[in-house]
Amino acid sequence: MKCHGYTVKMAFRSGESLSGTINISSLQASVHNKLSCSDCHYGFSSEEHPKRHFATRRDYTLASSENCRRCHFDKYTKTMESIHHTMLSQGNLEAPVCIDCHGSHGISHISKERALIAKRCQRCHAGIYDIYAKSVHGNALFNENNQDVPVCADCHTAHAIEDPRTLSYRERVPDMCSNCHANKAIVGKYGLSTAVVDTYLSDFHGVTLKFYRLQKGALNKPAKPMAVCTDCHGIHNISSTVGPDATVVKANLVKRCQKCHAEAPKNFPDSWLSHYKPSLKRAPLVFFVNLIYKIFIPILVAGLVLQIMLHVWRYVVNR
Amino acid sequence: MWSTGKGKGNEMDVDTVIQEERVKRFSPARSVEHLAHVATFVVLVCTGLSQRFYSLDISQWIILHLGGIDNVRLIHRFAGVICSLQIITHLAVAAIGIVYGKWQPSMVITKKDFTDVVHNIRYYLGMEKSPTRGGRYTYKQKFEYWGILTGVLLMMLTGFILWFPSVVTKYLPGEIIPAAKVLHTNEALVVFLIIAIWHVYNAIFSPEVFPMDTSIFTGYISKARMFREHPDELAEMEEKPLKDIPASP
Repeated sequence: MKCHGYTVKMAFRSGESLSGTINISSLQASVHNKLSCSDCHYGFSSEEHPKRHFATRRDYTLASSENCRRCHFDKYTKTMESIHHTMLSQGNLEAPVCIDCHGSHGISHISKERALIAKRCQRCHAGIYDIYAKSVHGNALFNENNQDVPVCADCHTAHAIEDPRTLSYRERVPDMCSNCHANKAIVGKYGLSTAVVDTYLSDFHGVTLKFYRLQKGALNKPAKPMAVCTDCHGIHNISSTVGPDATVVKANLVKRCQKCHAEAPKNFPDSWLSHYKPSLKRAPLVFFVNLIYKIFIPILVAGLVLQIMLHVWRYVVNR
Repeated sequence: MWSTGKGKGNEMDVDTVIQEERVKRFSPARSVEHLAHVATFVVLVCTGLSQRFYSLDISQWIILHLGGIDNVRLIHRFAGVICSLQIITHLAVAAIGIVYGKWQPSMVITKKDFTDVVHNIRYYLGMEKSPTRGGRYTYKQKFEYWGILTGVLLMMLTGFILWFPSVVTKYLPGEIIPAAKVLHTNEALVVFLIIAIWHVYNAIFSPEVFPMDTSIFTGYISKARMFREHPDELAEMEEKPLKDIPASP
């Protein structure tokens, strides 16, 4: 600490340099304030201070990130499955490693301030961040400091971040949304219905998706990618389905339908009951057809069974 | 037993003779038609009810073993087209048969069928001495026939709507699609229940025919059953006055 409390510099072969000065107060405020320097900088102590050679400053960061796995092996292995690690191993040295998101000496507990998570991703994904910031979720997070809304890591996960353009990722979208939208404790206070998940899952698209997910191996050949939540509601740009944005959602719906139902006319989206359960007000025709059968089927079954029982009884009596 | 004179030796002999004597009931064409309907029915039930009750293990087993949900829908639609063709052929043949006078419109429900329902239920309860007298088809068979026929016609219509939603919504409001789905699945359940409960009972488990009514397969029915179930038709066939063939339980 003696030396690193003052101005020291590390020089790299590339000519870059990195300050070796440690901000003691931020280190003491970090979650690692009980660790000693050599816990991470192993091989170094006040007696031993071997000279290490790094071509670039980035090489040093990448190498230092390897230190985290000594304690955080579970997270480390998760990152090895991520798209970031794949990019890194393909030679993209700018792909983020532990230090890039968590920092080095001033590591804080990440879940405390959720907006910070989005801001970390912003460093590389600025375009998507801007779109997200305008969405119903991002707006609530940044303008109302709402801690219920999802941030990047809630859908993309923090460490095992998967390529979101894959089929398997798309097929898990309803799970991600239902984490909150099927949970009354979370969405109930905003007047949102938890029926949105059930109504989707029990309808054509949801049932098809369920089977696509069950179909493994040779059967895993969906005719078309099935419509999931994000197809109608948007991905990072999700807007509210009530209030001024509602009309935009509806106008976009038919375009989305036409991606699979090429011939779909303007009123085609009406064939989807917009997550409402059929009632007298919403979809009365569907409601009545359902009601008629709900009454008729039990009467039919009871009538037939009763006749059969009477017939058997008469047969037995006649013998 | 149809015999009214229990315990009398000479009548027992008549009983045995009639038991063995057979009457022609269906032409081979009707047997083939029935078998074809059985085949499409089984395929449609397996691929259809497994979609309706999609969360059951058995449904998932069926769908995964038939090559996935897209395949199951393809099979269901294909079988639906076959079934529709069968129904259209059936109706066309029946219409031509009746128009050219070769067939009697014996499936048409008459006022007697409604009174027969009441009469037979009264008979079961011991309020009438004898059961109803069946003609070519009894009221049980007629109501079953029309129940299934209207069900299949409704499913043909709604099945087409569900197959081509974008075409249908060009001319009709969008709500038609979910309404057609509700109607299609429920009507399917109705037809399935009529077959599973009523038809299977009357053709297999009814003590009158157990272990099985084979007439639709062989084309022949025993004279004893004609006496019991279709006395009016038998009388017509044998050109006897009705009173000679008594209604019997």
